[in-house]
Parts: sequence; C-alpha cells; structure tokens
Amino acid sequence: MTQPLLEVQDLHTVFSTKEGWVKAVDGVSFELHPGETLGIVGESGCGKSVTALSIMRLQRPGLIKSGRVMFKGEDLTKATEAEMREVRGREIAMIFQDPMTSLNPVFRTGWQVAEPLRLHHGWNAKKSLTSAINMLGKVGIPSAVDRAEDYPHQFSGGMRQRVMIAMGLTTTPEVLIADEPTTALDVTIQAQILDLLRHVNQEFGTATILITHNLGVVAGMCKRIIVMYAGRIVEAGPTTDVFAHPKHPYTWALLRSIPRLDAERHEPLKPIDGLPPNLVDLPSGCAFHPRCAFKIEKCSRDVPALQRVGDTQLSACWVTQAGTELKGA
Amino acid sequence: MIGPSRVAELDMPGAAIEGASTRPAQSYWNESWERLRANRIGMAAGILILIFALIAILAPVFSAVLTHFQPQTIDLSQTFSPPGGKHLLGTDELGRDTLTRLIWGARVTLGVALLTVAVSLTVGTAVGMMAGYYGGWLDDLLMRLVDTVLAIPAIFLFILMSILFRPTPVSLALIIASVGWGQVARLVRGEVLSVKQRDFILATRSIGARHLRLMLRHLLPNVLPVLIVAASLGVGQIILIEAALDFLGLGIQPPTPSWGNQLTNAESYFFHSIWLVNFPGLLIFVTVLASNVFGNAIRDAFDPRLK
Repeated sequence: MTQPLLEVQDLHTVFSTKEGWVKAVDGVSFELHPGETLGIVGESGCGKSVTALSIMRLQRPGLIKSGRVMFKGEDLTKATEAEMREVRGREIAMIFQDPMTSLNPVFRTGWQVAEPLRLHHGWNAKKSLTSAINMLGKVGIPSAVDRAEDYPHQFSGGMRQRVMIAMGLTTTPEVLIADEPTTALDVTIQAQILDLLRHVNQEFGTATILITHNLGVVAGMCKRIIVMYAGRIVEAGPTTDVFAHPKHPYTWALLRSIPRLDAERHEPLKPIDGLPPNLVDLPSGCAFHPRCAFKIEKCSRDVPALQRVGDTQLSACWVTQAGTELKGA
Repeated sequence: MIGPSRVAELDMPGAAIEGASTRPAQSYWNESWERLRANRIGMAAGILILIFALIAILAPVFSAVLTHFQPQTIDLSQTFSPPGGKHLLGTDELGRDTLTRLIWGARVTLGVALLTVAVSLTVGTAVGMMAGYYGGWLDDLLMRLVDTVLAIPAIFLFILMSILFRPTPVSLALIIASVGWGQVARLVRGEVLSVKQRDFILATRSIGARHLRLMLRHLLPNVLPVLIVAASLGVGQIILIEAALDFLGLGIQPPTPSWGNQLTNAESYFFHSIWLVNFPGLLIFVTVLASNVFGNAIRDAFDPRLK
C-alpha cells in the first residue's frame, strides 16, 4: 500500500443545540490514497457532510472536539486559519450539493472560476481568466470563451456543476471532496457529471472523496466505500465485496431497499423499518439496533468497534463479528 | 483533455439549446437598468433630481449668468419685491433675490442630504455586515446598540445635538446620520443573514478566501441593491428632517441659505409675501416626492416581484 494522502483519525465533531451536544461525527477514521476515489455513503444527517467540512475546517458552528486530520504529514485540526486558507482551494477543493446556489450570482462565471488562481498563485485577472477558460473547456462547457462572460443564472444546473468542478480544479488540488455533487441534478445530468468526475480522476490523478446517499453512484465510481450511520462508520471495504456480502445489517438493509434490474420480478422493495435515530439522544449500544433485524441482546448494551470481518471488510457489528452471515427476508 | 469526444457527445443536446438562447447575455445590473428605463415616471423623477443636483453644483454659474445676484447681497431698496422683472422670484425682507438664494440653498440642502446618506450608509453597512456575518456576541452587541439609537426619539436627539454643536452643513449631516445609520445597519444585517446562508459563501470559503474578502468582494455586491434603494429613499427623508430642523432654528443658520431656513424666514411674512413661502415649500415638496418616486422605481427595477 502506498502512503495515504489524507488520513482521518478518530475524528469527533459536535454541535451545540438547545437539547444538548449533537455528536455529528463520532470517532470516524479512514484514509485516502493518492489517485483513489473513496465513497462515503449514508442517509441524511449521518455525518458525511460534516466529516468533509471538518477536513476543511469549515464545520462551523460545529466544533472539532478531538481527532486528527493528517494531510502531508501535518495535522489540519491544529493548523492556523492562515495555513488552512492555503490548503483550501489549493490542495483540497470541494464541490457542493446545490450548484444553483454555489456560485455568486453577481459575478461572471469566468471570474469566479479564476478566483482560486488569483487567491493562491497571485495571478492577474487576464492570466487567471485564460486558465479558467481553458479549464471550463476541459470540463465540457461548450464555447467556453463566450460562456465565461455569462452570469451563473444563464447556466443550467448541470452546467453550473461543471463550472463548480472547473473552479475546484483550476489549482490542480490533490484532493477533491464532492459533497453530493449529483443530488440536485436530474438523472441524465447526474450520469454526465459522474462521468466527468471519473475523467477528472483519471486525467489529473486527483484523489476524490465522493459523498452521496446514492448507492448506485458509489457502485460505478468508487473502488472503496465507507458506510456511515449516526456519525459513525459502520462498514468499510472494497465496493464489490461490500455490495456482494454486506457485513453490517444497515448496509444489508440499504442494499435491499433499492431497486435492482437483476432482482426477481414483483419482489417488493424492503424499506428499512423505523426512523433514523435522534442524534441528541442516541440509542444505547449500537445506534442501529432498534431497526436491526439481526440484533442480539448485546447490541443494546455495548457499542461495537469497527473490526475486520472477512478478508477485506471492516464492520462495526456484534453479529457479523461473531461470524454470522446476514441472510433472510 | 478530459475525454473530449465523450464529453462533447454528452453535451450536444444541452449545448445546442443553450447556444440557441434567444435572450442576449445580460447581467443582473443590465436587466435592472432596462426595467428602470422602462419606468417613465421613475425616470422623470430621477432626471429631475439630477437637474437639481446640477443646478446646485453650478450655483455660482447660475447666479452670475441667470440672476445676476449674490445670495447674501442685501438691497434695502428692493425689499419684498413680488416675482417678475429683475427679481424673477421676488425678494425677501432684506431685498435678497429669492431665486439666487434657492439656487444656493439647493447646494446646502442637497449637500447635507448627500453627505448624510453617505455617512449613514457607510457606518450602517459596516456595522450591519459585521453583525450579520460574524453573528454571536458581536451581533448581539451591535444590534443592541442599534436598538438603543433607534429607541431615542430622534427629534430630541437632533435638538440636543444642534444645541451642543453649532450646526454647519457638515455637522448637521453628521447629526442626522448619527441616527440614520441604525436603520441601514438593520437592513444590511438582515440581508447579510440571508445571503450568508447560501452555498456560494461556503464555496468561497472552501477555496481559501479570507473573511474580509468574503465580506467586501462577495457579500457587499449582493447587498448593494438594498443599499441603493435605501439611499434613494433616504434622500427625501433627510431633506424633510433638515427642513424641520431649519424651521425650528436648529438647522442651517442664516445668512447661509437653505430651503428650510428660507421657509422659516418666510413664516413671518406669510400674509403679504406668499411667494417667500411658496417657492422653497414647492421645491422641498417636489424634491422629496421625486426622491421617493425614484427610490420606489429603483426598488421595482431591482426586484420586479415587488411591483
């Protein structure tokens, strides 16, 4: 294995609310290798976005309580704000869920795409704009020279997401964090954007963290995935293995809740019973146990740690750690 | 290149439609300007204000070429001349030419209004932006300060300050602005709070922009429409406040002419020299009306949904 590019170690990010502290990210650890595409999957509010924002130290009003984010031998959680500004947009870039609101409506797109270059390389307007137009062309904006003169509202959603990706890539960062980059787009455009992200990954060798709630997106994009639930990683491993033999009941249930082309006809989809947990007042033991079909007595008492289950996967589940296979209706 | 053929292929349908866009590329500002231009009454009001401003700036030229009098030249043989003849709009109790004094008064009145707007917008924007952007204790502190300023009855504050500081055009502007900034700060804070929530602020942070850059470069242009509307509506209000203070003898002091103090002066001669009341009164009325109409037109232009 190569040296990891980014290493998140036991990250805890909390939010203060009227009802108490919310542990949005509760002991998350993972590593990202150069050139790799890592998927982080989970339902809304499971802490995937906060994990990403914590890496960039943009989690405010959240607070990073403990843990380390090692990037090129430095702990980003201890970096000064000035050092963080150097990392943001230069070495780690981020693209957001909603391309409709991610661009400033009052500036021409070319100017905005060029902004990281002016900020980080100190390039002048003309030089940075030329480079931005070049990048807009590379991400598939037709007649980029003219379009750079346009304002964001003159672009469609898919085109804006391309613009966002171009903006993230101008400084050729080593890590690109894509936080639900296709969620706000319609299905045909989703495929185009994912295709673009894949090309970006191959062309620039940018390591990508792809955050999504869509298992289908992950399947086509990522070699490795992480499944999060209630602020914790419940399962991690190579995508094919996780999809074929999920080692956590949550992943297992998640996979059964999506339609498949190869499934038996008329076989109904199985929603996951119950509701996502209240993060202020998590269930005792494993946070998933109230919704779990395989729970044993221990599950409501002790929190399972993330441990190796099988050859390639990690799982935080007492049942599978004891060697039980997840099967049945 | 990122798979040029592939990407090009994918883009074809969308690109064709967008390429054939019938609407010319227009910015928000251009569109607003077009809407403003289409509003005839609003434009007339704007042009009127512009004309008054020009007259104020060129007051020395006008008094030399048009009226041939100086604003403070006393001619006791020509007191209370009715309009017409040598004195187009008549003279006052000291034989001073009314038109000349109105032209020079425009300088003072509009100058005070402009300076007041400039000061209260600058202070109000800075305060409102910091409060809205940083939030937390700073927001609480600044907004309670604004509440305090706005809780004091303005007229008493003006009276007190006018007694403490001798009112000159500049000090009078500062006195009025000392209250005016509060409203602006509230307005800007509200706007910043809403703009701040939008993703592009987070996105701009994520490319490594510092707070100051975010505020000045990214937030301010988004707040600007609100500020422009506030400014144009503010001018009318300030002219009224200034006239009121002049009327109470707490504003611009004679012999410096302002529209307000000309009105005050005329009060005593109301029954035999009505023109002394009519002309400054009419000017104030027309200017305030024009400022309000123009302000509304600008607001409609920036946000057509409000119409």
